[in-house]
Amino acid sequence: MLKKYLTRMGDGERVEMTADEIRRDFELGTNDAADRGKIAPLTQDDLDRLLEIFTNPNKVVSVEPGNEVPLTHDIGTLRLMGDQGNSGVGIPLSRVQGIQVHERAFACDTMELGHIDYSFKPVKPVIAMEQQELENALLSTIVPLFYGAMPNLGLYYSPDGPFGNPSDLLPMGKIQEAREAQEGAVEHATRDMIYIAEKLAAVGADGINFDTTGAAGDTDMKATLHAVEYLKANTNLAVEVGMAGEFVLGMHGGLEYDGVRIAGLYPHQQVKLVEKAGADIFGPVVNTNTSKSMAWNLARAVTFIKACTEVANIPIHVNMGMGVGGSPVFETPPVDSVTRASKAMVEIAKVDGL
Amino acid sequence: MSREELIEQAAQSIVEANKDLAVEIANKAIAEGIDPVDMINNGYSEGMARCGDRFDRGEMFLPELIVASDAMVAAISVLEEAMPAENRAEKLGTVVLGTIEGDVHDIGKGIVATMLRVYGFEVHDLGRDVPISSFVAKAKEVNADIVGSSALMTTTQVGQKALEEALKNACLRDKVKTMVGGAVVTQRWADKIGSDLYAENASEAVIKLKELFS
Repeated sequence: MLKKYLTRMGDGERVEMTADEIRRDFELGTNDAADRGKIAPLTQDDLDRLLEIFTNPNKVVSVEPGNEVPLTHDIGTLRLMGDQGNSGVGIPLSRVQGIQVHERAFACDTMELGHIDYSFKPVKPVIAMEQQELENALLSTIVPLFYGAMPNLGLYYSPDGPFGNPSDLLPMGKIQEAREAQEGAVEHATRDMIYIAEKLAAVGADGINFDTTGAAGDTDMKATLHAVEYLKANTNLAVEVGMAGEFVLGMHGGLEYDGVRIAGLYPHQQVKLVEKAGADIFGPVVNTNTSKSMAWNLARAVTFIKACTEVANIPIHVNMGMGVGGSPVFETPPVDSVTRASKAMVEIAKVDGL
Repeated sequence: MSREELIEQAAQSIVEANKDLAVEIANKAIAEGIDPVDMINNGYSEGMARCGDRFDRGEMFLPELIVASDAMVAAISVLEEAMPAENRAEKLGTVVLGTIEGDVHDIGKGIVATMLRVYGFEVHDLGRDVPISSFVAKAKEVNADIVGSSALMTTTQVGQKALEEALKNACLRDKVKTMVGGAVVTQRWADKIGSDLYAENASEAVIKLKELFS
C-alpha cells in the first residue's frame, strides 16, 4: 500500500495524498501559474525540494539556522484584538500593548499600527488620535514601526463616498461614467493617503504600509503608486506596498502608470511599477483556490513569487496567511500548512521576508 | 463565406467586444442561410466563453466584458428575428442573486449576473449586503427557479446555510434550486449545507445552470 501524507485542501480540510498525487498537483499548479503569468514553471529540482518539504514527517518545519528571513506583520494589532469574525484571537489589549507583544513576545522584525477600520479614508477625521497613539507606541518600542491601512477605493463610491459606484454603473452599460467615477476616486484617495502619511511622518513614523493594494482594482493601485511617489520624494518614510490579489483586476481597464497599463499585471510585473514609484518593500500576493489541494496552491504560489523575486530590485516580503501564499483560507491557518508554505517561499522562491 | 468561418468570426467579434461586427456577422449568417441556433451556440456563446476565460486570467477587464456581453445580446437579437417563432430562445429560468448580508464583495457576483443574462436567464440581482429575508421575499415575488448567493468571507459564508433554512421555513426550498459561490466556498461546503449547485466562477455558473435547464 502506498504511503500517504497528511496535507490540506485550500479551505484547510485535512486530506491524505500519496507522493505521486502531491507531485501531480505540483505540476498542475506550477503549469497553471506559468500559463497565466507567462513565466517559467518550477524546475525539476524545485519540485523535488517542494516534495521534500511536503513529505517531511514533522508537523512544523522551518529553515536552517542562518537562513531566517525578516518577519513583518500587517493588519496591525487587530490579529490579537479582533475576534474570529475579524481574523483574530480576541485578546483584549490596547493597540500599544499589542505592538509590544509582537515586538517582545513574538520577536517580529517590524510591526505596524493600524486603525480598527484599517482603511486610509476613515483615518483622516481621527488623524490626531492616530498621531498620539503612534507616538506612544514609538516611545515604548524599538521595532521599526509602520502605519498600515488599505487604500480601499471602494469607500470613495456610493453609498460610502462621493462618486457613483462602478459596480452599479457598469452593469447599466454606463462605462464612461464608471471610469470617470474611478478617476475621481483616484484623485481623492491619493490626496487622503498623502495627507495621512505626512501627519504620521510628523510624529516619527518609520514607515507606511499600503496593504491590500488593488482590492478595488486598477484604480486602487494607481492611487497608491502616486501616493508612494510623492511620499518618497517628500518624506523620509519607508514605504511597503502589499497587494490584494495575484493580478490587478481591471475595474477601469485603461489606467496606466509610467506608460504601463495597470490592469492584468501579475507579481513580476507589479513589482516593476512599485519600484518605479520608489517603494522600499513589495508584498506580492497569490490567492488560494479553496477547491484545490495545498500542493496545487503552493506550487502555483511559489512559481509566481519566484518569478517576482528574480526580477525585483527591492526586497520581496511575500504575503503569507489566510488565503494567500499557498496557505488555506482559514481564520487561523493550520501550522503544518503555514510553516511548509513559508519554508517553500524562502528556500525555493527566495523571498527576502514574510 | 463558409459556416466555419462565420462561426469563428462571430466568436472573435465577441472577444473583440465589437458590437457592430457581431451584428454584421449575424446578418451575414442569415443571408447565407446558416442556422441561427448554430451561430448562437457555436459562435457567439463560444466567444463569450473565451471572454470569461480571459477575464479570469486578467487578460480582459470589466468594462470590456460588459461591452462584449452587449455585443452578444445585439447579435442574438438579430438572429432571433430570423428564427421561426417556435425556435426562439425562451427564458431559461428566473434567478435571484445576491451577496450575503455583512459582505460587500460584489464584483464576482455582478459578473455572474451579467453572464447569466447574456445566456437568457432572467436575473434579479439584489446586490451586496443582502439580508436573508430579502432573498426569500424576492424568490417568492418573482417565482424564482434559482436562488444564488455569494460570500467572500468565512464570516458571511454561514449566511448561505441560514438561507437554506430560511427557504425551508418559507416552504420554498422544494420549489427552487440553490446555488452558492464566492472565494471561500467549495463543493464540500455546498454539499454540507445542502445547496444544489456550486460554481467556482461565472463561466461554471452558466454551464451548470444551462445543464440544469436543458
